[in-house]
Amino acid sequence: MSASETIRRPSRHRTFDSDRLLTAACVGLPLLGLILFFAYPMLIVFLRSITVDEGYGMGNYVQVLGSSGFWRATRHSLAMGGATTLLSVFLGFIIAQGLYRCAFPGKWLIRAVIVLPLLAPSLVQALGLIFLLGRNGVISRALGVEIEIYGFWGLLIANTLYALPQAVMIIGAALVLLDARTYEAADVMGASPWRQFRDLTLPSARFGILNAGFVCFIITITDFGNAAVIGGDYSVLATEIYSQVVGQRNFNMGAVVGIMLLLPTVIAYAIERQAMKRQQAGQTTGQVAYRPVFAPLRDLGMAGLSLLICAAIVAVIGIVVYASFVTLWPYNMSLSFKHYDITLAGGYSSLWMTILISLGAAVGGTIAVFLLGLGLRRLPQALAQPVQILAAMPAAVPGMVLGLAYILTFNSTATPLYLLYGSAALIGIVNFYHYHTQGFLTVMTGFRQLPPALEEAAGSLGAGLGRTARDVVAPFIAPMLVSVFFFLFMRSMVTLSAVVFLTTPQLSVAAVTIMRLDDAGLTSQAAAFSTCVMAVVCGAVLAMKMILALMQRRRG
Amino acid sequence: MYLTVRDATKLYGTFTALDRVSIGIEKGEFVCLLGPSGCGKTTLLRLIAGLADLDGGKITLEGADLSQMPARKRGFGIVFQSYSLFPNMTVAENIGYGLKIRGVPRSDIAARVAELLDLVKLPQVAENMPGQLSGGQQQRIALARAIAVDPQVLLLDEPLSALDAKVRAELRDQIRQVQRALGIPTLMVTHDQEEALALADKIICMNHGSVVQAGTPEDLYHRPATRFVAQFMGISNLLTPEDVTRLFPDLLPPRPATPKAQLACIRPEQVDITPAADGTAMVRSISFLGNLRRLEVDSPVGPLTVETHGTNPCRTGDPVSLRVAPDACTWVIDDAPAPKAVPA
Ligand SMILES: Nc1ncnc2c1ncn2[C@@H]1O[C@H](COP(=O)(O)OP(=O)(O)OP(=O)(O)O)[C@@H](O)[C@H]1O
Ligand SMILES: [Mg+2]
Repeated sequence: MSASETIRRPSRHRTFDSDRLLTAACVGLPLLGLILFFAYPMLIVFLRSITVDEGYGMGNYVQVLGSSGFWRATRHSLAMGGATTLLSVFLGFIIAQGLYRCAFPGKWLIRAVIVLPLLAPSLVQALGLIFLLGRNGVISRALGVEIEIYGFWGLLIANTLYALPQAVMIIGAALVLLDARTYEAADVMGASPWRQFRDLTLPSARFGILNAGFVCFIITITDFGNAAVIGGDYSVLATEIYSQVVGQRNFNMGAVVGIMLLLPTVIAYAIERQAMKRQQAGQTTGQVAYRPVFAPLRDLGMAGLSLLICAAIVAVIGIVVYASFVTLWPYNMSLSFKHYDITLAGGYSSLWMTILISLGAAVGGTIAVFLLGLGLRRLPQALAQPVQILAAMPAAVPGMVLGLAYILTFNSTATPLYLLYGSAALIGIVNFYHYHTQGFLTVMTGFRQLPPALEEAAGSLGAGLGRTARDVVAPFIAPMLVSVFFFLFMRSMVTLSAVVFLTTPQLSVAAVTIMRLDDAGLTSQAAAFSTCVMAVVCGAVLAMKMILALMQRRRG
Repeated sequence: MYLTVRDATKLYGTFTALDRVSIGIEKGEFVCLLGPSGCGKTTLLRLIAGLADLDGGKITLEGADLSQMPARKRGFGIVFQSYSLFPNMTVAENIGYGLKIRGVPRSDIAARVAELLDLVKLPQVAENMPGQLSGGQQQRIALARAIAVDPQVLLLDEPLSALDAKVRAELRDQIRQVQRALGIPTLMVTHDQEEALALADKIICMNHGSVVQAGTPEDLYHRPATRFVAQFMGISNLLTPEDVTRLFPDLLPPRPATPKAQLACIRPEQVDITPAADGTAMVRSISFLGNLRRLEVDSPVGPLTVETHGTNPCRTGDPVSLRVAPDACTWVIDDAPAPKAVPA
């Protein structure tokens, strides 16, 4: 017992418990952020939507509901949402089925290709389609036909490509849940593969499909980038808000359309959360993963279909990269770096600024959701529940509406928050709160896997909250924190809808620059700028994969 | 008493997990908290550790009230059932973590860690990650980590229950050795009566959130206070006074006057069994358990269990006579029947 003499006995007097204060701060600060930068702006949008000349009233709604433009946009949004949902869930199911229920080599390639659309601003799909099928598109010229790509069909394809990764991931997650033993039991009972598909696979993927449907629907009706570039005259609610606010500077009307766009997304989101719960409830532990055996007819067919879909994705994204190097599309197809010399005012400054903003959003956001999760664990359920609900709400709000809420809130001298207006910080903040829910839920998943005994052991060894968080909790959920960091970074790099209202001539972000380049007819430069953004995001993905692999290795 | 718990009460909503529980631990004592699943053992341990708050009552250490003191300031060591080593730290870092928090110089920590690894007989794993150790090894490291800071009280919550029988017996002896050597007052939760009998200086038997009986292992085995304790501490024959009158009339006189003591508890090894042609009982079955035989006997008042050591001439179907020494019978209160005890 040589060393033990140096151990200090903890004092046994009643002392002020600093941990309670820390817990309060952990929850309090992120909560304050949620209220200030989410709840309050949303309240402002709502108030503005009912603001008429001499006070409050339903006048704006009456006016909007009476306009044919609004109804046309609503009809278009719903039709586009429905069609995209059907198409992307159908294609997503094929790919997920191929990945998890069929045996063929090269699945990693499909996995890699399928996430490509997530790594680029949504308007890249639209750009790609224009290079392929537009008046000067490769395919149109090769076939010698005139395709009208602007409008419903172009937008449908672009949106489908954009929603497809989500559909594949959600349906795939549902398929993974179905145990190999279930299929073995069915085999033993003499069920044919077709019967197994109909009686086992489809019912168990039911919630996944439903879920994927709602997510695709939300993504589609809230997306702005594709609609802005390839929608043409096919106006949807997102572009309608933009034209009300930016075109006609009619903020109150924009707020009304925003609230109308909020309705379907909130409903879809609420249903989706319920479906998710049902799916998780069916989850069992000790799963045996399904290992498909090679069945030529099924597998070759599915591999062919998957390959075809992937080829389409690669073509649309690849053509943008290719076109960015073409000297003068379509007349001089020799390659050059000419378009990387951005002629629009500001040049690449918005790219650097976006990287800076994205880093800020990722660092701040990761810390905020970590603190929130840490504090919520120590809060009684009755207090934690409402905070959790609030933290999960931003996902229901379309980026356009959040961006509009920000401009209404922060571009008003009524509060000191005005100081933030026009600053890069505000763009970082809007990006974080736009994607708050996903980050928060990921971290909460990590916290649920953390055995309470670890924190309790640290506590009884004398570690306070701060020390436990640093030495035990953070290392344990580090993979989740890394995922959240890169998720926030990548979304901030490519998002357009929320930030489109917040950029100024002095302060722009990458996605807005691409849109402006395209608007100015500098399509090749838009492609070049997109390629740069994609390169940064791909670099981030690779960095994330490497860090996660290293962590895995270290943990053994 | 070194550590005392007085009238500890814990509520979960409307459910009373602990109902005015009072226990005490002397300096250097090894106390086992024994009871069926869900009786509140873990809850009591967590209250003592400071991991949960009391809803009533008081916990004192050498007379000082602990109720306002958070776990990290109590200086208690705790070992959980499983999964409590920090997965991101090596074995040595795990053991030294409490010392590091207390600002002990690095060289002293290294010396102490080496000393503790020797104590738990795992000197070679210092640089391993916890994931590379077996369950038994992990629990030994958890024990070393808990005692590294020289805790005032050591709390163990079923530290052996996730291990298989052989490792369990080995580790059980080791825990006892270490505790004796260091003299740390220890409270260990278990629902295994055999473990409690083998380890404890004192057993506290709990049921439904209350203490039913506390005493030495001998006390609880040979002089159970209630039917629950009698059944929980091993196999017993429980006879009503009427049964006793018919079968062993000479056992009646020592019956205490209290009307609550309603059942005679006779341990199977206290019954003398001899083959007798005129015997009123008959051997129904015999199981051979190595060092002893367990006989199921049909008696005029119903089935009885008898255990004999060494050879015994009785065979299945034999008529037998039974005899019990008057001091081998304990009268117990008829409370709740206990879940069936695990036979030794
Ligand atoms: N956090 C909690 N919320 C509600 N009820 C609880 C909670 N923790 C324990 N209980 C209940 O209190 C009772 C006592 O639980 P405790 O964990 O102390 O039992 P135990 O004696 O340790 O059982 P086991 O041997 O199974 O570990 C149980 O009925 C349990 O369901
Ligand atoms: Mg327990």
